[in-house]
Amino acid sequence: MTTPDSTPAEAADVGDAAAVPAGDGGGDDAPRSLVRDLLGKAWVRAFLALVIILVIGCVFNAGGTFFRWSAHRDMLRQSSVYGILACGMTMVIITGGIDLGVGSVLAAVGVPYSLLMMTYGGSAVWVVPLCLCIGTVCGVWNGFLIGRFRFQAFIATLAMMTFARGFAKYISGGRKVMNASYNPDGTFVYNTTFPEFTEWLNSRVLGNNLAVVTIIMLSCMFVTYLVLGKLTWGRYIYSVGGNEEAARLSGVPVLTTKMLAYGMSGLFCAVAGICQAAQEYQGDPEAGTGYELTAIGMVVIGGTSLAGGRGAIGLTLIGVLTMGYLEKILSLNAVQESSRLMLTAAIIVIAVLFQSSRRK
Amino acid sequence: MSDTLVKMTGVGKSFSGVSVLRNVNFTLQAGEVHVLAGENGAGKSTLIKILSGVHNEFTGTMEVFGKAVRFASPLEASRTGISVIHQEMSLIPQMDVVDNIFLGRELRHRPWRVDRAAQERETRRLLARLGLDINLRKPVEEYPMPVRQRIEIAKALAFEARVFIMDEPTSAIPEADVARLFDIIRQLRREGFGIVYISHKMEEIYTIADRITVLRNGEWVGTAAATDMPERDLVKRMVGRELDSRFPPRLGTVGTEPRLAVRNFSLRDPDNGDRRLVRDVSFTVNRGEIVGISGLQGSGNSELLNALFGSYGSLATGTVELDGTVISPPAPGKSIAAGLALLTNDRKASGLVPDASIVNNISLASLRRMSSRSWVNAKKEMEAAERQRRSLRIRLRSLGQPIATLSGGNQQKTLLGRWLETGPKVLLLDEPTRGVDVGAKFEIYDLMNQLTAAGLAIVLITSELPELLAMADRILVMHRGGITAEFSRENATQENIVHAAMGA
Amino acid sequence: MRILNALLCAVLVCAVVGTVDAGEKKWRVGFSQCNLGEPWRANMYEELMREVAKYPDDIELIHKDAQNDTARQQAQLREFINDYEAGNLDIILVSPKESAPFTPIVSEAYRAGCPIFVIDREILTDDYTLFIGGDNIVIGRAAGEWLKSKFDGKGAKAVELRGLSTVSGAQERNAGFREGIRGSDIEIIFDADMKWLEPEARREMESALTRFDKIDFVYAHNDPGAHGAYLAAKAAGRDKEMMFVGVDGLPHEGVAYVKQGVLDATFLYPSGMDIAIENVMKLKRGEKVPKRIMLATKVFDKDNPDGKDIGEPVLKW
Repeated sequence: MTTPDSTPAEAADVGDAAAVPAGDGGGDDAPRSLVRDLLGKAWVRAFLALVIILVIGCVFNAGGTFFRWSAHRDMLRQSSVYGILACGMTMVIITGGIDLGVGSVLAAVGVPYSLLMMTYGGSAVWVVPLCLCIGTVCGVWNGFLIGRFRFQAFIATLAMMTFARGFAKYISGGRKVMNASYNPDGTFVYNTTFPEFTEWLNSRVLGNNLAVVTIIMLSCMFVTYLVLGKLTWGRYIYSVGGNEEAARLSGVPVLTTKMLAYGMSGLFCAVAGICQAAQEYQGDPEAGTGYELTAIGMVVIGGTSLAGGRGAIGLTLIGVLTMGYLEKILSLNAVQESSRLMLTAAIIVIAVLFQSSRRK
Repeated sequence: MSDTLVKMTGVGKSFSGVSVLRNVNFTLQAGEVHVLAGENGAGKSTLIKILSGVHNEFTGTMEVFGKAVRFASPLEASRTGISVIHQEMSLIPQMDVVDNIFLGRELRHRPWRVDRAAQERETRRLLARLGLDINLRKPVEEYPMPVRQRIEIAKALAFEARVFIMDEPTSAIPEADVARLFDIIRQLRREGFGIVYISHKMEEIYTIADRITVLRNGEWVGTAAATDMPERDLVKRMVGRELDSRFPPRLGTVGTEPRLAVRNFSLRDPDNGDRRLVRDVSFTVNRGEIVGISGLQGSGNSELLNALFGSYGSLATGTVELDGTVISPPAPGKSIAAGLALLTNDRKASGLVPDASIVNNISLASLRRMSSRSWVNAKKEMEAAERQRRSLRIRLRSLGQPIATLSGGNQQKTLLGRWLETGPKVLLLDEPTRGVDVGAKFEIYDLMNQLTAAGLAIVLITSELPELLAMADRILVMHRGGITAEFSRENATQENIVHAAMGA
Repeated sequence: MRILNALLCAVLVCAVVGTVDAGEKKWRVGFSQCNLGEPWRANMYEELMREVAKYPDDIELIHKDAQNDTARQQAQLREFINDYEAGNLDIILVSPKESAPFTPIVSEAYRAGCPIFVIDREILTDDYTLFIGGDNIVIGRAAGEWLKSKFDGKGAKAVELRGLSTVSGAQERNAGFREGIRGSDIEIIFDADMKWLEPEARREMESALTRFDKIDFVYAHNDPGAHGAYLAAKAAGRDKEMMFVGVDGLPHEGVAYVKQGVLDATFLYPSGMDIAIENVMKLKRGEKVPKRIMLATKVFDKDNPDGKDIGEPVLKW
């Protein structure tokens, strides 16, 4: 008996399976080159957009300001809260979902954090874990609705977005929670010293060269990297986003996976909420409005596909830096808001064009 | 008389400098069924994509209806009269029949008013030609696949197509409807249409083909009248060397102790709790045995396999015993742990995680074994993938490439690898060779022999009767959710299986 | 006994004066607020309640929140007009969400004889009883003059953080401020939009701090903006180097920041609720009210933690 050793030419696969990305644009007959191979990699394309932004920064350097480390340090600080949100968003988007609630949950955590730390003088030892729990519960609830009752992620998280904003306004009474102690008769005294933990979050380390919140963002990204890249749960997240039915039939606990992804997103919202409140020295019930879209934008600019199943936290970091640098350069040059909006839109389109150039 | 509808001369095509089609000649006469044969990756799809306007950059010339053309888009091709009947239907499920047929070229009495009455008349006329009399206002998703396929053909007729390209048209429909499809094809042939037909199934090719063109590795190997190219010859040309037969001899001895025992197994219809898709089924599969389960679409055989595995959860009732241990309650995770594995019949929908690498696709179902406390052991994972790649001869560039970039046969082998990696005792195979080329099919049969020789038990569903007859040691036939007949390897024939499957 | 007397008197007065009993009856005041979501509006509501509470026997308030929905606010005005015509309402106060969409319905109420006060945002015609609004140019000028008095002659370098340069409020706060510092040697070295938001203001200020080694003061178009700038300067260790001046002067925000010593001054953008209710009472007593009142501002600074009036409201009859 002979075992056929048929060898359909490897390259021919490209032709017969043209419906799938084969690593290049197809269509033209130019020889494959190193550049083309490199362009086939998602991170290279993401990086390209960042490089373009940096070049723009070097050209429009605002009288050399762009070359000072403090400009970069501040850019990192400004992007940190978004970056922390983008960690959870990356996981959720890889499962094929979306989390619109991040901005509101940020506020729903920031307000009680400020209230407990400043108004009631609580200790960070229990206030922080409690706040992290609030965020996580919000996220797990989203995951539960989506996984168990098959809510569309858009709807479930839209509801959370609305609820969490309401919650933040409810417990704050609609106004900013400030560093004040209230007397029984309704009058209040403002304190000028802030809780130590809050001050620490708002400080810098490494010889005043890096904001603490930036370290926190990088830590969140590292945690996300471990979950997505090293844990079985990461595989489950990718497989649920890539093909939920195939994952289920392979014994993947789909519901738990979704609750984990959204729960992590909620946890990161809480981290971001605490960082935001600490940086503002107050709990603003309106904080984080519109942040969800920025976070989604950063994830997508990095190259994580909204269709799910594809992406990585490293890409998101590139996306965060791309958006962060763009904002910073516009800010250093004091560009007007109207021009900023148009330029930002242009960068988003260009970055995503890079991402999609390989697929036709 | 025969006038030439399509004439392609010296056609070549390459992607990024890699040539996938070289110097291919192809002609299609009016009133003929011209089969394109070749393994996956031979260039058939590329050729028809050129013909149907998907690829517009190629070398060589193409004449359609006597005029040299180079279509700018699939739309232009279909306007010229070339229609593709897709493997995956291109109808919009939620739209009704009429709207689907006239989508994009509605009949109007004014620029802004669709003439629904005229459309309905025309639809009725077209469907009547194809022997179909159905409610035209129902969404097409409510019709079974064979009907949808005919609607799709009607749509092509409405576009005044003169050339039909059918890419494995029988893969989506049950055996019993194939004959009717062939009647339609013959009728189209009589009416002077030209049909390009792609198939991997020998029986079909010889039932319907007038001429056969064989491609191999992007090259034209030959064109001949079907009568001048016997099966053996055809296979030889396709794979480039002699194949003794399409099936390896069934080896191994069937053991006596049952590995899988199913008793009083039923499955309620998820969409209609009162109905049962599987009724009181009992059977056993012994060590080293391949049991085939035959049945028409809707007989419940595929649902039975899925339910045994736990896909339907608690909708399934009855006992499933694996080596004497009862699996309960039914759930995929539990089944895998107990030693059951299911290769589903729809790779795309329920098998592949398309963007994930081959490694990750292989490890998916056995990740727990390759990790300690949720930390994946990348080394173990890579070893497992490499092991499966070697033993299954998966052809790939690197284990890290996305599975979607593999050919159908290699995707299927990768998925088999996923399940073998779980260390199964019983393999449930639902159409394991669907959309797989001849060479890879042979390898899968071979593998089934090796696995059973090693003591595994296999339950096999296939709509290709020759495959069933060649591979199964025992054949159960299902009809309306129940087992209606059982044949041993010796007394099973195509006739008595079809007979039993029809409920007679 | 006294009650009886009072009753008797009332009956007598009614009999004598006939229908002219406006002075005795409680007035029902309908207030349609475009939204209560922003701090300034929330504060406006608090002040309204405080003012109304001063006249428990004269005013009954019906307050409606349109939640930033034009159609809803129009419907509220429609109900008020119906109530007025049914004799269940005496006066309408409205703080419209937008100008154009409310012009016809305000005009309709006015022509139906219903007294109607328009607050904060003008409509396009003169068909209203009274318009009360703050004047951003006046406020900007007050801030400019205050800063000029502190910095003129010192060659001061300043940062201006604008609300949103496409919005009229910010344009006026900018124009007034520039007018106020005119003639001084103050130089605006950095001028950027911060979208009225604190985090944005902090970002813009960080850019300014990186670019310029000496900054003498920051003028922000609202208090959160000034606070954001302060936080940036504090993080850079440069908060002592400069002054921070904001606008709005809400008790829980800008005024609090001043009391905390975070901001050096804030300028009140008044809600005008005291004046509105005062004029409701005037009307009720049958007195004449002006056509327009442009409110004055107040400064809150170290010397005047509880505010000092700057100028007088401008009345137009």
